[in-house]
Amino acid sequence: MRNWIEILLRSVALFFVALVFVKIISKRNVARMTAFNLVNYLVVAIIAGLISVNVIDNVALGMVALSVWVILSFALDYLSLKSKMIHDWINGKEMVLIKDGKIMEENLKQARLTGEELLKELRSKEVFSFMDVEFAIMETTGEINFLLKSENTPITPKQIGKKVSKQTAPQTVILDGNVIDESLSNIGLNQNWLYTQLEGMGVSLDNVYIAQVDSSGDLYVDLFDDALQIPEPTVREMLYANLEKCQADLTSFSLETEDKNAKNMYALNAEKLGKVIDLLEPHLMK
Amino acid sequence: MTIGVNVKKTIANLKGSKSTMKIYAIQAQNDETKNTYEQAVKMTDEIIKDLEERLKKLEYEEPQYKGF
Repeated sequence: MRNWIEILLRSVALFFVALVFVKIISKRNVARMTAFNLVNYLVVAIIAGLISVNVIDNVALGMVALSVWVILSFALDYLSLKSKMIHDWINGKEMVLIKDGKIMEENLKQARLTGEELLKELRSKEVFSFMDVEFAIMETTGEINFLLKSENTPITPKQIGKKVSKQTAPQTVILDGNVIDESLSNIGLNQNWLYTQLEGMGVSLDNVYIAQVDSSGDLYVDLFDDALQIPEPTVREMLYANLEKCQADLTSFSLETEDKNAKNMYALNAEKLGKVIDLLEPHLMK
Repeated sequence: MTIGVNVKKTIANLKGSKSTMKIYAIQAQNDETKNTYEQAVKMTDEIIKDLEERLKKLEYEEPQYKGF
């Protein structure tokens, strides 16, 4: 009976001790640990387990061992923050596997990686030909990151000199039929606005599963009833089309009129409207 | 139909677009977008003013269509 209580007490105590210690050791993602981090965690876990089930009789001795592992690991972390040399010594250095498009066989051997494994890593990141890779590096955690050759990198709006409007994270304003006031007020809107929008779509609030407002203030909804078709917001496209129509109108006015002054005025304004259209294009067309 | 009516239509159209742009200017989350919309509103305003000037002249020339 006494054994039973002792183990219970030890386990409960160790549970919280282990919780605190693991928090002290590191906040890093478990999947991104270096080999030594893993050993550290394992030793702490095993010692805690052994104390808990009474294999290590003396709690005080067990705690000493546990503290040593935790404190040393903490100290090393601190030192490696302070000194690059210690950091490299503890965590290892990242290793260049591909440089200038050429595989560095020596480094590959040092990292104990076969060519097949390297290719597998690349394939898992959707690169099927090593010829596309300019530079690859093996991080200290064993993860392989790489840079594609510039002709193979995905094209960005910046590269083709196209302006795009800034996007911020959309706000979720309805979840499961409940209005979230906080996110509404984050974007400076209120419930009245939301109800007006929903009414305009012909949708009732309790039919909405998720509704989000994007950075330009358009509302997108998903309904419980998937058979219902709701129109996507097209105000932007309409505004764009409208402006283009006005520009065409101005051009035709300038062609029709005989008055030279008026001709000039129309042509100038058509040009000006063209500028407005260019200005707004990144915001209106998606 | 005369040119005057067409100009009026275009003005109405531009005014509608302008108010939509104003709404977007208010709704815009970042300053850059807001400024772009505000600039567009300003330019559209100038165009509307020019067209209204012209419309006055047209109505003077064709008084029978005034007020359409």
